[in-house]
Amino acid sequence: MKKTWLIFLQEYRKHVFSRRFLLVLLVVPLMLVAMTGLVYMIISMNNNTLPIGYVDQAGILADPLPGPLVIAPEKPTEMRLFADEKSARVALEAGEVQLYYVIPADYLTTGKLQVVHISQIKEFPRLHFYDFLAVNLLRQAHASVTTRILSGDEIIVQSADGSRQVSSRNGWINIFFPVIAALGFVVAMFTAGGYLMQAVVDEKENRTMEVLLTSVSPNQFMAGKILADTAVGLTQIGTWLVIILIGVQMVKPSFEFLQGLEVSPQLLLLCLVILLPTFVMVAAFMALVGATVSEAREGQQMTGLLSLPIWIPYMLIGLLIQNPNSPLAVTLSLLPLTSSLTMLIRQGVTILPTWQIALSASIVVASAIGTIWLAGRAFRLGMLRYGKRLAWRELFAQDGGAR
Amino acid sequence: MKKIRTILINEIVTVISRPSFWLTALGLPLLASLVFGVVGRINQSSTGSQAIGQILTGPVEPHPEGYVDLAGLIDELPSSTPAGSLLPFPDEAAARQALAEGKIAAFYIVPKDYLQKGQVLYIRPDFTPLASAGDQSGLFLFALHVNLLGGDWKLANLVQGPLEVQDVSLAPPEQNRPVEYNSAAFWLPYGVTLLFYFLIMGSSSLLLSNVSKEKENRVMETLLTAVSPLQLLTGKILGLGIVGLGQTILWLGTGYALMNLSGRTFNLPIDLHLPFSLVVWGILFFLLGYAVYASLMAGLGALAPNLREASQVTMVIMIPLIIPLFFASSVFTMEPNSTIPVVLSLFPLSAPVAMMARLAAGISPWWHVPLSALLLALTAVFTVRAVAGMFRAQALLSGQGIKVKTYLRALMGKS
Repeated sequence: MKKTWLIFLQEYRKHVFSRRFLLVLLVVPLMLVAMTGLVYMIISMNNNTLPIGYVDQAGILADPLPGPLVIAPEKPTEMRLFADEKSARVALEAGEVQLYYVIPADYLTTGKLQVVHISQIKEFPRLHFYDFLAVNLLRQAHASVTTRILSGDEIIVQSADGSRQVSSRNGWINIFFPVIAALGFVVAMFTAGGYLMQAVVDEKENRTMEVLLTSVSPNQFMAGKILADTAVGLTQIGTWLVIILIGVQMVKPSFEFLQGLEVSPQLLLLCLVILLPTFVMVAAFMALVGATVSEAREGQQMTGLLSLPIWIPYMLIGLLIQNPNSPLAVTLSLLPLTSSLTMLIRQGVTILPTWQIALSASIVVASAIGTIWLAGRAFRLGMLRYGKRLAWRELFAQDGGAR
Repeated sequence: MKKIRTILINEIVTVISRPSFWLTALGLPLLASLVFGVVGRINQSSTGSQAIGQILTGPVEPHPEGYVDLAGLIDELPSSTPAGSLLPFPDEAAARQALAEGKIAAFYIVPKDYLQKGQVLYIRPDFTPLASAGDQSGLFLFALHVNLLGGDWKLANLVQGPLEVQDVSLAPPEQNRPVEYNSAAFWLPYGVTLLFYFLIMGSSSLLLSNVSKEKENRVMETLLTAVSPLQLLTGKILGLGIVGLGQTILWLGTGYALMNLSGRTFNLPIDLHLPFSLVVWGILFFLLGYAVYASLMAGLGALAPNLREASQVTMVIMIPLIIPLFFASSVFTMEPNSTIPVVLSLFPLSAPVAMMARLAAGISPWWHVPLSALLLALTAVFTVRAVAGMFRAQALLSGQGIKVKTYLRALMGKS
């Protein structure tokens, strides 16, 4: 036990205190910040603060009420009345207005209008004009009706038993948060698994293994490494979570959608019974690969093969969110490699039947145990073998490949 | 010159004679054709596609939905509502019972304080807030709004925006692009950007693995006794460039042929065809961009002790190529001539990708293109020379670790 602990400590320290680990740790939050900035910038690009002109032949906008107030990053747009198309066109060509609308006399019956522009029409000013139009169309109606229609409705989707509920205003964060968390998890899983493979191959390549194995048993060696690299991965996820949660707390007041964020006990349960065994399985598989190949480069190709099924649910995310109970979704939640992401995606949008969680968890736990067993076997067979790859046939041979 | 040719031919022959090359070069199109074939066959038989649809989405049974109007707002459903799609219930208990009996798929509750708060409850047995099928909330909310406006469905419609907008653009014809969201205008710059990124990255990383492998197994030592570093580098860049280009042409060619064979065409509008100038500039920017990145990668291969240690520096080298990708779907498509795209397309390291995106999206002024090409060409000359300087015995034979700093210093000629 003491030896396992020593190996664990050595391996953990080696990775966590390296510069590369710190870099990866910081890069992800920085990327998030950069992405947020980018999104904000793209949204701001839809602004154009030049006035919008209009020619009103229908008499809707004579003595107009102002449009509703806009919220940043949208910027307000001034609406300017022109007596006729000619003067509006002159103003447009002089660059005084960004575009102008012509509302024909029969607008109320046909719903047709004309827009004249030179540069591309921006999204926000267009919507502001439509809102402005709507306010004035509704001026006859009761004030409470006007506010209601203009500020939109909030649909609260509730399951029949009342156990789950999500609002169209700010509840969506609870659907996407598990997905984002799962992504971070997969990244950490591969980082940790990569370390493990590297650890085994490296020590094989530089012959440290031979020395090490004079004092520890292969099982102690392997157990120490697997535990340490799982711990490295968990450290990574933990740090990201803490950083993200702190960030969310800081910006929460200014973003309405973040206020609905809550972590349900079911999500935590899923992390424990499905994500964690998947993590161990991937780590063991990486160790298995490390023990069978003779060079690190060969191992990277095998890793690529493994990561493919893990990403499948992510590629199908649209389908899974819209049809969380389709046969495809259920199948993907039962297969050991695809289950982690699929379950987390489905968790946000449907009520997972208990039998599915239980079955999926037992399948993934069984596969994890099987992979560990295989990895241990491969390690014993391949640990001192150089330059020659361990064949899969030998791994499953009855006599343990001893020939 | 003769030595360069020998190296060039040798590189091509080595890569081509490797089974894994043919596996990717031919396997990928084969796989694609298989998928296309199967999908095409399934599409032909409607029962087949129905079965696939069932697996992907689950059974879809259109069901009526119910509503409970506690606020007393709904007098009458608008005439546009399909008959029997929304059923009224006097109270929640009745609606729940109908739901339990399977008479309705889901129901809405309009609370008493709806006018003040604007909340509508939507009860669904399976939750599924983003379901694609069966959700009629749009229909229901419209019915609610029509009733709020005293049954004036025309007004309720107009409040959501005009029904039809006639678009008149006074812009000069060559800059005249469709105002509404247009999938082709969006996908072309994006596709071109992605294609160029993969092209340049794929073929230049061939060079990294090639050089670092020869360094690792010490073939390099023998080679350098017979050829000069510049000859070695030029031969390798040319040889692997030809292979990379050939592979891409093979892929694009089979892709095109498959499209024709399976009777499908890209859903592009007819007036959208690749202008000839785009193709010419495309080839030029690819060649120059490849020369820059391939030599940078070769330099990295020369300095790094093995492939794994090189990966960190690879990231740094590739960042300028990746940045335009971030903007490809937004800025480049919407405003190809604003500040960010202009800067990115003139900066030599991001130019090969960024300039192609701008070209595909519509560029002005025209002289940005030759200027960017010129800058890129100068950079290419500089990097090839600088990297040839790295191909010295000292760098090639040492087993020292590699850091971004060492790499940059070596590139500037300080070791």
